[in-house]
Amino acid sequence: MANFLAQFQTIKNTSDRLVIAVEDVSDLWPTIKTAFEERLPFKRALLNNKTGNPVFVETLPAEFILTTEARLRSRFPQEQLLFWFREPYATVVLVTCEDLDEFKTILKPRLKLIVQNDDREWFIVFVSKAHPSNDQTSKMAKKVYAKLEADFSSKKRERCCKYDMYCPEANFWEDLESKITECIRNTLDRRVQFYDDEIRKLSEQRLMPVWNFCNFFILKESLAFMFEMAHLHEDALREYDELELCYLETVNTGKKRDFGGVDQGDDQAALMNPGNKALTQIVLDDSFREFEFRQYLFACQAQLLFKLNRPVEAASRGYLFIISFSKSLAWHESVLPFSMREVWVITACLALNDATTSHYEDGLVAPDVEKEFYRLTGDLYSLARVKFMRLAYLVGYGSDIERSPVNSASLSLLPWPKAAVWPLLPPDASSDVLEKEKLILQTTPRAKHFGIQRKPLPLEPTVLLREANRRRASLSAGNMFEMFDGRPGTIDGSGLDASTRMSSPQKVRAGSMSRTNSSPGNFDSSVDRPMRLAEIYIASEHALKQTISNTELLKSLSSLEEFEQKYLELTKGAANNYHRSWWSRHGVVLDGEIAAVSFKRGNFDQAAKSYEKVCALYAGEGWQDLLAEVLPNLAECQKILNDEAGYLSSCVRLLSLDGRLFATKEREAFQSEVVRLAHSEMKDPVHVDVSSLITFSGNPGPPLELCDGDPGTLSVTVWSGFPNDITLDSISLTLMATFNADEGIKALKSSSAIVLHPGPNTITLDLPPQKPGSYVLGNLTGQVGQLRLRSHSFSKVGPADSDDFMSYEKPAKPILKVSKPRALVDLDAAFSSALLINENQWVGILIRPLNYSLKASVLHIDTGPGLEIQDSHVIEMESYADPSQNEDKHVQGDGAQKGSLNPEKKFEYLNLVDGKIEFPDWASDISSILWVPIRAISDELSRASSSVATRRQSIVDGMRTIALKLEFGISHNQIFERTLAVHFTDPFYVTTRVTDKCHDGALLLQVALHSEVKATLTIYDAWLDLQDGFVHTNGGTPSLSFFPLVISPSSKVGILFSICLDKENAEGAAQEKPESILNIKYGISGDRAVGAHQPVLDESSGAHSFQDLIFRSAITLQRPVLDPCLALGFLPLPSNGLRVGQLITMKWRVERLKDLDEIEASKHNGEVLYEVNANSESWMIAGRKIGHVSLSPEQGSRITISVLCMPLVAGYVRPPQLGLPDVDQTNISCKPAGPHLVCVLPPALSSSFCIPVNSSA
Amino acid sequence: MIVCVAVVGNQNNPLYIQSFTEADDALKLHHIVHCSLDVVDERVNNPKKSGPMLNEAFLGLLYPTDNYRVYGYLTNTKVKFILVTTDLDVRDADVRNFFRKFHAAYVDAVSNPFHVPDKKITSRSFAERVSTIVKSFGLSSTG
Repeated sequence: MANFLAQFQTIKNTSDRLVIAVEDVSDLWPTIKTAFEERLPFKRALLNNKTGNPVFVETLPAEFILTTEARLRSRFPQEQLLFWFREPYATVVLVTCEDLDEFKTILKPRLKLIVQNDDREWFIVFVSKAHPSNDQTSKMAKKVYAKLEADFSSKKRERCCKYDMYCPEANFWEDLESKITECIRNTLDRRVQFYDDEIRKLSEQRLMPVWNFCNFFILKESLAFMFEMAHLHEDALREYDELELCYLETVNTGKKRDFGGVDQGDDQAALMNPGNKALTQIVLDDSFREFEFRQYLFACQAQLLFKLNRPVEAASRGYLFIISFSKSLAWHESVLPFSMREVWVITACLALNDATTSHYEDGLVAPDVEKEFYRLTGDLYSLARVKFMRLAYLVGYGSDIERSPVNSASLSLLPWPKAAVWPLLPPDASSDVLEKEKLILQTTPRAKHFGIQRKPLPLEPTVLLREANRRRASLSAGNMFEMFDGRPGTIDGSGLDASTRMSSPQKVRAGSMSRTNSSPGNFDSSVDRPMRLAEIYIASEHALKQTISNTELLKSLSSLEEFEQKYLELTKGAANNYHRSWWSRHGVVLDGEIAAVSFKRGNFDQAAKSYEKVCALYAGEGWQDLLAEVLPNLAECQKILNDEAGYLSSCVRLLSLDGRLFATKEREAFQSEVVRLAHSEMKDPVHVDVSSLITFSGNPGPPLELCDGDPGTLSVTVWSGFPNDITLDSISLTLMATFNADEGIKALKSSSAIVLHPGPNTITLDLPPQKPGSYVLGNLTGQVGQLRLRSHSFSKVGPADSDDFMSYEKPAKPILKVSKPRALVDLDAAFSSALLINENQWVGILIRPLNYSLKASVLHIDTGPGLEIQDSHVIEMESYADPSQNEDKHVQGDGAQKGSLNPEKKFEYLNLVDGKIEFPDWASDISSILWVPIRAISDELSRASSSVATRRQSIVDGMRTIALKLEFGISHNQIFERTLAVHFTDPFYVTTRVTDKCHDGALLLQVALHSEVKATLTIYDAWLDLQDGFVHTNGGTPSLSFFPLVISPSSKVGILFSICLDKENAEGAAQEKPESILNIKYGISGDRAVGAHQPVLDESSGAHSFQDLIFRSAITLQRPVLDPCLALGFLPLPSNGLRVGQLITMKWRVERLKDLDEIEASKHNGEVLYEVNANSESWMIAGRKIGHVSLSPEQGSRITISVLCMPLVAGYVRPPQLGLPDVDQTNISCKPAGPHLVCVLPPALSSSFCIPVNSSA
Repeated sequence: MIVCVAVVGNQNNPLYIQSFTEADDALKLHHIVHCSLDVVDERVNNPKKSGPMLNEAFLGLLYPTDNYRVYGYLTNTKVKFILVTTDLDVRDADVRNFFRKFHAAYVDAVSNPFHVPDKKITSRSFAERVSTIVKSFGLSSTG
């Protein structure tokens, strides 16, 4: 059956559509041919696919062929069966007849004869030539047609249709098409069934020795081809897939066969060209050569895929095919020409790309499929690129291939071609070798920029020199003989032939050896000594020239420029396609390779752009090792382009990279570039982010705490990643308030240049007063010449890890806390008790710092009216141990600790200068008391009170104020103002009372002295200077034996004076001394920390002695009423007593004891002025307090004055008193004579009442 | 032979790369690992394609090149493990097994309280463990 192969292929090549046979019974075809063929190809034909499911075929091409034509006639029945796919799929019988008899006698038997062959699908088209106007003929035709139908159509199947030549029925063509399609469908089904059965039969024999793949192939491909003709591409593709599977199975399990691929031109992949070689050329005895046949199968599949409009699938299958085929080539590499595999892959990739891209239209597929397509295209380009580089390396262009990671990754993992024998040097190549050698010597390894020393990445799996020589050396002596033995035979068969046993290495050798034989000496020497590199290159080049048949590829390898051109083309192809796919990383990396070429060609602008992309890719994801490889290139471009900003930034980025990636020397070179540029004449300042190079942090520990309004100094650790010291002209650091990001950014600036050493540096910055809140470090900017460095990252503790590119996410630790305004210090009076008035007294001012240093504080003292400070006086300051704290310390009780906890009492004298005192240092943190000598001046004489004249005391009397202003804080920015009230008083308060009236007229005057101060008073002497009208009975001095009389605080003593009325001077004309003066000589011993104390010694006046203190108090003595004119009597109160809240009428009776003289009477007009005095705290007066009442001037006239009152407090209180202001006291006789009290009961329960609120104020 | 193993963080940043070649050419392996992230990304972003593998950490063969193979493994936290081998005939089961062990070693390493998440793994014991795993790779199948 394999003999039919050639025939099969010719048939396949000639027939390309379904055939419909036309049995032209009545010679009608020439007239209707045009109309029929116009219907072709059929639209939306309904066919069945292999599984029997209906499928609409959009266009079904077909061809009408008359049965009488040679094409259908001259076939042998056997052929018909074998190539059944080309036989007609339907038979159209064309008849016409206008006579019933004629039909019956001639036409019908003939038709019967035609249609009796059951194999054929047939139907009859009755062509009516009758003109519609000709009723007769058309009626006849109808009759004949009716007869025809009755005879040939069955109920199951309509086999007839009628075609009116002049006016075809509207649905005729549809009817015709459906009938033809039906026929085709039925035929197709039957034939598919047939082929299927045959194939199954063959498949079952697959493991038997008789099995012949060619037969199977012909059947399978016939089926596939039939499907293809019927435009059932999907089914056709499936058949090819099955065919491929089956073939691979035979290849893998079968015996060793000739692989193929040694023919001229086989190096060019034929995977898109099924007709590359005739099948007869590749046939083995029962199968096909793998090399050609697999490509053939793929080509058929690819064409079907393109017909199915699935170029993406073609690309994806193609890629896998190339990979797997390349593996097969590797298996058979030893029999293939040198580097055949590489060459084939290159051509295959390019051919596949050309085919798929020409069939691919953008936007027709889903986006992800599109991306996949571009990825595949990119992959194919990339694969071709790698193989191309390998070839280029073999011919000696290796020094021009960038030793980048991507090239190294692809090339160094790619094994060398495993030719059975490494190509030998052609004999006439010595001049080429010399030239090559010169070239090798000339090319210096490209130095990296910045003098970076790095071992170049390998582009070869093993050293080529060794590999090539090893492969040659592997020829043992025995092999060598074989070589020569095989020679004669090989020379014979050196041409293209199908002889299978002939192995390819021999053929390769044949080429070279036939020449080497001409100069055997050269040959021998080249075998004996190892080949030099130049020789290897030349030998490879020579071998490749024999392998490669593609002129374009040969040209690309012919010179360096051509190589570069092709290399660029492939790289760009890969990169551009990757960019349109998901694989952007691949694309960007290849951009870097393009950039390298651009750089070499001097297109620095383009190179810089591409390098930038690559750097951004690596930097973005933190692949520093890779970045370190590319960044110097970018920097170099920028340097050449004079892009100072970019260059600086690149240098800084280089410095920022992990230290292990560069040697110290290299890093120093980067830094010197940075510094050099920074100080060069750049037009504009350049801003560079150095966040990973210079990091900064607050010092470990709690944040700096400041009080509101205080300046301070902030200490920050700056970690410099520069390899050497770097001098920053200035540095500035921003603080960000955590509470409010908008306004809280404050910049701190250093005033002077700062040298940063490598590693951590501590710098301090002045901190102006900040708003309250907490602050974190913002960013750091430094300036070097025209270069502005800016760092916004900060490390938490110590130096940052250099791979710390995500450090921004760390929560920032507050570095500074400025507390809300609060009391920082307290000034207070050291005590609250009264001091002696008119004496120099120590006023204690207690200064208590509240967790705040009062260092170098200044206190302004401004005394109010009635106070004076002697400037000459020394002011004392002593430390003050808070009693409450002391107690705590005592509780702690440990003796050893006590000393340290209870520091020594500090004491110091200070001077008041311009009303200011400066504090000593020791007082900055501890409480202290400032003792200021102050004298309160009061001209008033103290007045004694008697039982009659009550004491009127106001708290304001002895009050003086001292205004204090404390300036403190680091720059006296804090101010605390306070006004202290100090109470001054006389030492004593005197009350007097006449205790007894003796018979001899002497009066015993009791003087009670109340101590007013918290100090012990000692009375040394006391005497009374009596006013006029009184005299002492015993000379006026009290007995000395009483003295000294000691009065403890808040106690009182009494002294009795015996006096009598001075009767001699009773009618003394002028009252010179209206008041008596009590003189008391006393001493005081008190603690100034408590209150009144001994007056401060006034050094200027000097003579003052402690005991010389004199207290004087005025006492008013009243002579008894001698000449009463009016009697004033307090009328008794109701017996049921007084009660708080109850109104009561107070009554007084006024009676005239004697007549008034006329002058007096006229003056008073018979009226008396009265006034009711009452303590407002105890009473509420309801009526008029002051008024006139008429009282006749005659003796005995009387009147009662009543006033409505309400008592407000319970207890014994003084009742309201009635006074007569117009009348001299001496003329009024009162009853009761002295002050008296009345009893007020508490209010009845559950009654409400009011009392004045201000009573206590 | 395994030539390189790598751990890549969820930001596609390298956390650990160890090559097992004698030559000083780790950089090319960096490149391979880095580029293989494209494939991982593609698989992750294209759930349709990964299909039934959706719930599996093992991503399988990433690259069908003809000279080396790259396998991937993706954890729930989007940490990627990459394996580069020059063996062209590797059983999937072996690779799976390798990744399982590697994952366990990684989990132990990052559980160290002194390890900063998303930082390079500098633990020496991790490196030792990884090299043991690499050495034992494929032994179970042959021996």
